[in-house]
Amino acid sequence: MHNILLNNLPLLVLNQLVSILYLVTTFLYGAHFFGDMPLAKRFKQPLLVVTVLTHIVYLGLLTSLEGYKISYSTVNLMTMVGLTLTTTYLFTEFTTKSDKTGFFIISFAAGAQLISSILTTQIQTTGITFSGVGIGVHLIAAIFGFSAIAIAGIYSILYLLLFRQIQQNRFELFFQRLPNLEILEKLTMHAVSLGFLFLTITIFAGILEQRASGEAITLFEPKLVTLVIIWLLYGTGIIIKPIIGWDIKHMAYLFIFLFLFITILIVLMTFFSPTFHGATF
Amino acid sequence: MNIISVGVNHKTAPIEIRERISLSEVQNKEFITGLISSGLAHEAMVISTCNRTELYVVPAMQEVTGEFLKEYLISFKDARKEVRPEHFFNRFYCGTARHIFEVASAIDSLVLGEGQILGQVKNAYRIAAESQTAGILLTRLCHTAFSVAKKVKTKTKIMEGAVSVSYAAVELAQKIFSNLSLKKVLLIGAGETGELAAKHIFQKNARNIVITNRTLSKAEALAEELGTNQVLPFESFKNHLHEFDIFITAVSTKEYILTEAEMHQSMLKRKLKPVIILDLGLPRNVDPDIGKLQNMFLKDIDALKHIIDKNLEKRSRELPKVNAIIEEELIGFGQWINTLKVRPTIVDLQSKFIEIKEKELERYRYKVSEEELQRMEHLTDRILKKILHHPIKMLKAPIDTTDSIPSRVNLVRNVFDLEEPNQSH
Repeated sequence: MHNILLNNLPLLVLNQLVSILYLVTTFLYGAHFFGDMPLAKRFKQPLLVVTVLTHIVYLGLLTSLEGYKISYSTVNLMTMVGLTLTTTYLFTEFTTKSDKTGFFIISFAAGAQLISSILTTQIQTTGITFSGVGIGVHLIAAIFGFSAIAIAGIYSILYLLLFRQIQQNRFELFFQRLPNLEILEKLTMHAVSLGFLFLTITIFAGILEQRASGEAITLFEPKLVTLVIIWLLYGTGIIIKPIIGWDIKHMAYLFIFLFLFITILIVLMTFFSPTFHGATF
Repeated sequence: MNIISVGVNHKTAPIEIRERISLSEVQNKEFITGLISSGLAHEAMVISTCNRTELYVVPAMQEVTGEFLKEYLISFKDARKEVRPEHFFNRFYCGTARHIFEVASAIDSLVLGEGQILGQVKNAYRIAAESQTAGILLTRLCHTAFSVAKKVKTKTKIMEGAVSVSYAAVELAQKIFSNLSLKKVLLIGAGETGELAAKHIFQKNARNIVITNRTLSKAEALAEELGTNQVLPFESFKNHLHEFDIFITAVSTKEYILTEAEMHQSMLKRKLKPVIILDLGLPRNVDPDIGKLQNMFLKDIDALKHIIDKNLEKRSRELPKVNAIIEEELIGFGQWINTLKVRPTIVDLQSKFIEIKEKELERYRYKVSEEELQRMEHLTDRILKKILHHPIKMLKAPIDTTDSIPSRVNLVRNVFDLEEPNQSH
């Protein structure tokens, strides 16, 4: 399939605008966290809302050209990851009134969106498109699952940073600005639970869709095997605390490892196995 | 018209001198009313706290200088042997205004940004107002100082962060636990330090506070004061260690009251759920090896002082913002003072023109009808208003380097041939 964006200048401009908005929002969140700038504090949340809305409009316009179907490609995966991360964070910020971790989540989302925008101008095809409720749920659940994993990983890193600063009597920036350890622990565990839920939905929706379409998918396909392993590890992660009595510090190490492992795996598979469970594009 | 401030504070004199010169509320009233009734001052106020005794005086005669007021206070306190004029600071006019603004906004305090001083300044003003020694100048000065302090509190972070050991302990606990009301606290030692820490943690919603002390009655008294009514006998509190999330220890002891082995067992019993021990004792009450246990946060006074230092550093960084607020208010106050200086000339000017108007109108009173006279009066009022507008505006305008209030006043007085003003307050 040809690259829709390269043939549609307004959409291409909107795509680049979304990236710029992400960068500016990240800057404002960073300026508030590191520099305690009053202007950044005032404008960061409104700009985040504008960024999310612009991103939704962009994706709406992009998919409208293909009958509101999203295609499977690195470009679209990355932009969806960016959107789900910011949406999840925005929801957290509104519900918990805590805006101290925004920089770390949004900078990751900005990175994903930036990769998407850069790749958009580099590639000629946008990938295979899918239609149907089953495959839609499968794809969206997978993206939300990865976002939850990313958030759990980022909160775990912040937990360990704050934990170390308190242990070593270094009452510096993270001690002064981050939420307390108990809140970071709760945020991590909520993200892990959500991640596990979305991965479960991804697997079941995938199985149902495969049965409905009658498409032959090999059980040893690397993406499937990896997904099941990750799902098992997260499931273990959730039950390990109440059963074995692992403390959150060790859990944090596990979630950081899983986050890095999955990110590297996705990047590797995107470049070396650019298929959707056997479907070449 | 001048405002003089003289006084001793933590920057100019040691504590023995500050103690010697301080005034009780009764002495304060006696001192300021004495200054007024003896005709030495038009207005007077004294701020007297543990760190400062400062006089704010609007003198009634030229002889009442800073040096005079120092001697006056020294002899009032009969402290000539101990206190010397060198122990005092001395400021005038804008210097006085700046000083009281700095005092009220707590940047002149021993602990930068401490929260008590504004209340003490307000109390000093209350005493002066009740004694009828605060007139137009001191009232305006104090109200501007209160407004400065309010702005500083809301627009800067000069009062943020703990700057005492017991507050720092609570701040640290809040950085580990999100909701102190859900945590169980054990206070070991019901002495002054323990009591202060317990009160601070109680203010932050910790309600499940259990107290243990060698003298049980002291623990019971503190528990009753806090309203928790939870006490453990000192001999048996170690059987319950695993139940507590926060320990505050402040006892006088030569041996550790909590050992590594005891806390290790307790941590296993509570499935390694995080624990914070705040050791406020000196010498330390808790075995330092406990800090090596998993999920254990052990903090002694030195560690807590790190927090205090960081907070003080953070407060110091707010000083430019505070000074900017003070500068802004000083300009406003200075302009208000200037309007006081030119007010008699403005009144004289208006009176002179009204007198001329009335004399001229009087000549026509029986030559024209009542209606015409009213129209003439209305017309002359409008003409006078326009004529006086510029001279009054010039008198009230902010002063610059090439101009001064007396020269303006003299110019207007000479041009309009106004009589010399009285030199009264």
